[in-house]
Amino acid sequence: MVELQNVSVTYSSGVDALNNVSLKINDGDFAFVVGSSGAGKSTMIKLLLKEIDATSGVVTVNGYNLNKLKKRKIPEFRRTLGFVFQDFRLIPSMTVYENIAFVLRVIDAPLKYIRKRVPYVISLVGLQSKTNSYPDELSGGEKQRVAIARALVNDPQLIIADEPTGNIDPELSYEIVELLKSINDQGTTILMVTHEHDLVRHFGGRIINITGGEIVYDEVIMGAGIELMPIGNEYTEPIQKYDPPPDVSEYDEPFIEDVIASIITNTNNNGGAE
Amino acid sequence: MKLSGFKYLTNQGVENIWKNKMMAFATFCVLLISLLLVGCAGLFYVNTNSMILGLGNQNEIAVYLDSSTEQWRVDEINSQLQELDNVESVVYISKEEAYQRMKNQIVQGQAIFQYIDDSEFMPDGFSVTVTDNDRIEQTTALITQIENVQSASSYAQVAEFLRELRRVVTLVAGAAIIALAIVSMIMISNTTKQSVYIRREEIQIMKYVGATNSFIRTPFFIEGMVTGFFAGAAAFFITWAIYNSVYNILMEQGTLKNAFGINSIISFDNIRFITAIAYLVIGSLLGAVGSTISTRRHLDV
Repeated sequence: MVELQNVSVTYSSGVDALNNVSLKINDGDFAFVVGSSGAGKSTMIKLLLKEIDATSGVVTVNGYNLNKLKKRKIPEFRRTLGFVFQDFRLIPSMTVYENIAFVLRVIDAPLKYIRKRVPYVISLVGLQSKTNSYPDELSGGEKQRVAIARALVNDPQLIIADEPTGNIDPELSYEIVELLKSINDQGTTILMVTHEHDLVRHFGGRIINITGGEIVYDEVIMGAGIELMPIGNEYTEPIQKYDPPPDVSEYDEPFIEDVIASIITNTNNNGGAE
Repeated sequence: MKLSGFKYLTNQGVENIWKNKMMAFATFCVLLISLLLVGCAGLFYVNTNSMILGLGNQNEIAVYLDSSTEQWRVDEINSQLQELDNVESVVYISKEEAYQRMKNQIVQGQAIFQYIDDSEFMPDGFSVTVTDNDRIEQTTALITQIENVQSASSYAQVAEFLRELRRVVTLVAGAAIIALAIVSMIMISNTTKQSVYIRREEIQIMKYVGATNSFIRTPFFIEGMVTGFFAGAAAFFITWAIYNSVYNILMEQGTLKNAFGINSIISFDNIRFITAIAYLVIGSLLGAVGSTISTRRHLDV
């Protein structure tokens, strides 16, 4: 859940980016945030990522009160989110597999789980043949698919997509939103920032319009969309429907602390025996 | 942290060296040069100190007799010398023996002895060692007063000068080592900062997906440590080669050995282990710490 209560953000330059904004996005919602350039959309994203702090007001995301969140708790909070950026932000020195697996590495997920989960999300976005490719070897659309797979792999409560279709072909944009909708159907909250009004009109749903740092429109509209056929191409497979992940606890693995402790215990026992 | 996670971070650190090989090579070179500068300065100081100490500890007085001294008089002087206070031992060196010693010392000038086929021009002499090195000057003066003694000389004045020199060398070398260490740290810091700066976006992405600072730093730590370790190993082998070459050249200078205390230069065999350990530990530490500290400013996302 995302909740902003009377939130204002004023930058050190004196610019008022957000002005007394209140907003609530419930669990399982799909919301488009629209607005022109400089309207305050990026500031809102930065707030939700705890990249900046609100000048006043209360920001709550996934149960974390970001105003009171300590620095050392930020990683823990960010693990409850998935991000998709316009510029993809993939690690260039890592392959597609490694980029996605990295998120699970961060939470110290068991290796067996990573080996099962990562290929699944890769197949979900239709990039099986690109598993070992580096970001430089992918097209814009493929990169964004990897970014979505990365956002998805940790089964987050909320996915924030900042202009996810901004750098890809228009046809693929619809597929990307379709995929996000499919993820949303499984209960994940999606907040998508976009300036592509055609997309918004096509899919419909909750539309939040920010202008001049204020919410000027927040309504649910009907989509005018038609049933889309999966596109894919000769290199990539069509995007698949999303299924929720298996339980991580099924993949138990030893902790290094336990391994070290057992080595010390064994050494002590052997020493005592001698 | 799970065992697989630890292995992963270690592997990442090692893999990063290859993935960022140009910057890793630059860091390696800077570390190598820094280690060589500080290491060579350190070894120079240790050896200068040893040479000075060696010279200062020489308790020998070289006594030369008039060339016309009869053998009975030589024996008499021998007895006189042994009766002197502060004399530990007296070794007679005949003119023939002195001539032979000189021939042995002047290795590269053997041709000159084709024209000197007689030891008659050499004086008889004694090598006198003293018990108390602090009174060597008085003892030398007493020996000089003995009849038929042409000259008696010791390293007393040289030793005093060298003690003073040692103090100066300690100060100068100490300051040089500290200055070099500071310059090296700045060089290393700049190189690792540049190396990390190139990957700042990578660090930011890691932060966005919830990586902790220690998770991000560990591969950088490993990467810096491995690079530093290899720089330390390379510095060790280069030092070994240079040191041995210089050592061998100096050891060939037979006539200069005693005068400049070259005998006291430490053989590399005696310091090989400690030098290797010092290079490897300091190299690894500098690499690891430099690399980890440089990540700090990019972690605040």
